[in-house]
Amino acid sequence: MSVRRKHHEEEGHAEIDLAPMLDFIMNLLIFFIITTSFVKQTGVKVTQEEAYTAEYKENGNILIAIRPNGDVWMDRRRVTLPEVRATIERMHAERPEDTVIITADKAAENGVLVKVMDQVRAGGIESVSLATLPQGG
Amino acid sequence: MRMRRHSGSESDGEAGIDLAPMLDFVMNLLIFFIITAVFVKEVGFSLSRPAASAQSTPQQEKKDSKTLYIVLHNGGEVSIDKRPIDVRAVRANVERFKAESPEGPVIVVANSKSPTGLLVQVMDQVRLGGVLNVSIASTGG
Repeated sequence: MSVRRKHHEEEGHAEIDLAPMLDFIMNLLIFFIITTSFVKQTGVKVTQEEAYTAEYKENGNILIAIRPNGDVWMDRRRVTLPEVRATIERMHAERPEDTVIITADKAAENGVLVKVMDQVRAGGIESVSLATLPQGG
Repeated sequence: MRMRRHSGSESDGEAGIDLAPMLDFVMNLLIFFIITAVFVKEVGFSLSRPAASAQSTPQQEKKDSKTLYIVLHNGGEVSIDKRPIDVRAVRANVERFKAESPEGPVIVVANSKSPTGLLVQVMDQVRLGGVLNVSIASTGG
């Protein structure tokens, strides 16, 4: 018995104890699950204007791009103005804490910007931001 | 071998759950979340529309001295009180307005064909002038 036990314990101690590693991995996993925000990317690149007083926007997960020719892009496809409202309503229902950031090209027209803003507000999200580049940053 | 499995020390070991499959699964989840994690670093201004009480046509607004209207024209000019000014002079005007009426709202009246780059510059100037709450109105269809 004693011989057998000694042999077995040597086998057992040869392995690495997985429990601390598992704890660590679980913590990492929980961190990434919590911080994952699933941003709705627009799919187009626009040139933004620089600004000194720009501030970081919390929960700015819904991005809407306005191109210089007036096209509106969100969720990686081109949308019309009524579709903006419908899409915002759907996204607002999925994650009510998300806010909207409009990334308008600096050559885009303000008329389109204001129309998009009104559509977003009609879709139920009051917090709308206009993206800029941080100056000198 | 079989004898050993039934021995006391072996059954101690077998009492624990085998963690390896769970560890594989957790690792896969972890890799998925690391790959899909996107940290947005968009910065910008909050946009707001004028309150219903303040919403009126620019012609009526002239009588209301408590609100500062900054008009952006189609060609990229900026004017306050029908007086054309440079974009960089907006800040001084806003500071003066704020000294006169600290609670007065600032509304940027953007002509619909004016570029948003100009709007950002003007809003930046207004915020540098100390008024953080800027509303946007649009004219000209």
